[in-house]
Amino acid sequence: AEPWPENAALYQQLKEEQILLSDNASSLAVQAFLQMCNLPIRVICRANAEYMSPSGKVPFIHVGNQVVSELGPIVQFVKAKGHSLSDGLDEVQKAEMKAYMELVNNMLLTAELYLQWCDDVTVEEITYPRYGSPYPWPLNRILSYQKQWEVRRKMKAIGWAGKTLEQVLEDVDQCCHALSQRLGTQPYFFNKQPTELDALVFGHLFTILTTQLITDELSEKVKNYSNLTAFCRRIEQQYFEGHEKD
Amino acid sequence: EEAELVEVEPESKQEILENKDVVVQHVHFDGLGRTKNEIIMYEIADVFKARNLIDVMRKSHEAREKLLRLGIFRQVDVLIDTCQGDDALPNGLDVTFEVTELRRLTGSYNTMVGNNEGSMVLGLKFPNLFGRAEKVTFQFSYGTKETSYGLSFFKPRPGSFEKNLSVNIYKVTGQFPWSSLRETDRGISTEFNFPIWKTNHTLKWEGVWRELGCLARTASFSVREESGHSLKSSISHAMVIDSRNSSILPKRGALLKINQELAGYAGGDVSFLKEDFEFQLNKQIFWDSVISASLWGGMLVPIGDKPSSIADRFYLGGPTSVRGFSMYSIGPQSEGDYLGGEAFWAGGLHLYTPLPFRPGQGGFGDLFRTHFFLNAGNLCNLNYGEGPRAHLQRLAECIRWSYGAGIVLRLGNIARLELNYCFPMGVQAGDRICDGVQFGAGIRFL
Repeated sequence: AEPWPENAALYQQLKEEQILLSDNASSLAVQAFLQMCNLPIRVICRANAEYMSPSGKVPFIHVGNQVVSELGPIVQFVKAKGHSLSDGLDEVQKAEMKAYMELVNNMLLTAELYLQWCDDVTVEEITYPRYGSPYPWPLNRILSYQKQWEVRRKMKAIGWAGKTLEQVLEDVDQCCHALSQRLGTQPYFFNKQPTELDALVFGHLFTILTTQLITDELSEKVKNYSNLTAFCRRIEQQYFEGHEKD
Repeated sequence: EEAELVEVEPESKQEILENKDVVVQHVHFDGLGRTKNEIIMYEIADVFKARNLIDVMRKSHEAREKLLRLGIFRQVDVLIDTCQGDDALPNGLDVTFEVTELRRLTGSYNTMVGNNEGSMVLGLKFPNLFGRAEKVTFQFSYGTKETSYGLSFFKPRPGSFEKNLSVNIYKVTGQFPWSSLRETDRGISTEFNFPIWKTNHTLKWEGVWRELGCLARTASFSVREESGHSLKSSISHAMVIDSRNSSILPKRGALLKINQELAGYAGGDVSFLKEDFEFQLNKQIFWDSVISASLWGGMLVPIGDKPSSIADRFYLGGPTSVRGFSMYSIGPQSEGDYLGGEAFWAGGLHLYTPLPFRPGQGGFGDLFRTHFFLNAGNLCNLNYGEGPRAHLQRLAECIRWSYGAGIVLRLGNIARLELNYCFPMGVQAGDRICDGVQFGAGIRFL
């Protein structure tokens, strides 16, 4: 396999004006994972990153001639190049890790999407202005409505359309509780070494803690669990201090 | 020379009119339904000015042609008769136009040939919607490279049909395998046509929501970087002078088309100035042969610091462009995907002769021509800081050219097919050639 090139790049939307909570979390998770693998990567911000991605989701990485998007496929891709964080785990632990990653994707990520696209106040005041900001009128409106329609359709398909914001926040709380229990007093989820699960959890929790929304309800749910906030601080200090940070 | 008009009517005497002075007293219309009178008045005004019989017949015929070109009548018949009635002068004439209006809704199904592509077109038309030759058309087209549908409203100016306004709303989806690019355009345009002396002008505003995407997973990263949405709002002007006797295989005459487009000053996020022109000259020489020369060129100047978009750039090469090269496969490219260029020129020199030994002369054989050609061209990007001298130098370096011979078939007055044997020359690294036999179909050839 080819060695990791120096000009490897990760693409996401514009950091200051455009990127939304869920995409920022996904991008940070991939960045954390690559840092943990000790693979250097440049972050490039493009307004059309979402449309450049082969799967339509950010982030994606451009390594040599390959373009790979989303954390799952990126973990596989990196493994094929000979780098892995979960090699030391046995089969039971690997299954557990997959289960917790599914939990984060199904609960936390979906809750973020719900808040961004289905909560009317957030949609009007944060999502619409940010999502359409690189585009002129009326394209900014058209693209925002189109994306909202898509997300709402997905919510309906997984049964979240009928939920209220309180129920969604409850789900977030339950998810954080489960993660907090599993983490306990260990530095990482699988004791001494970080795995892709740590990267994923860090990406989402850190973004939730540091993103300013209409209210603080979402970040409060995470702050209730002190070992989770300590976990985020620890990973930030170890892997992101001294680099370009959010 | 005496002209005779013999009218036989029941219960009346025969009148023989010679070529003497007449006066057109009345013009009648039979069969008008929703058509408003004003637009008819303009087209037939000249008939009243006729002073003798030959003139009346000629002016009536011209009026008939004018009425037909409005596109609102299925049939127009002209009857010229002597005037009857109390106020009839001895040399008075009545001219009657018997017209059949088109139905309120007509449907159509056609096949169309574009440049190396074919398509099926289904149309629904509402002719003469409000009585003044307005037309609303809905069209759906499904083709080898492109699918589109659109709604358009057309309104001519009463009295001068060549001055007209049309408003179109459309969606076009195109696939461009030479660039691994897929493009969907949703747009609205307003177009105003008017003649000035011998030239035809078009002034157009267009607003398009463009969506670009990769056609395949294997698209190059340069094309992937152009994926996404943009909004183009542009004003354009086109001028056409066409004195050719036909647009497909003309025997004489010249064509000059100049087109300019300015985008970005009325909204949108694409900003450029684009100029392109097309020139063609045809001359018939000995033995029924025609020599034809053509020159195309264009330039795209991005305004501001954003680079130009792949959807706005020019492309070169192919059976309808510089022959001997693959479709649009000349110039800047990345991993096999052709990105187009901001400036180009192309020229062609052709000799068309009848088929050797003239088989099928006077009939089928006349649709074919043998064809000897010399094509040349260049396509590149310009660094606009450099100045015109450097640009001319860049366009003059690494010229691609080709020569060859083949057979051309004329399809009515709509399209032409070519089968050529080509020798491409001046091939640069990255160009894709098609040396040997090349087939082309289309309406606009270099």
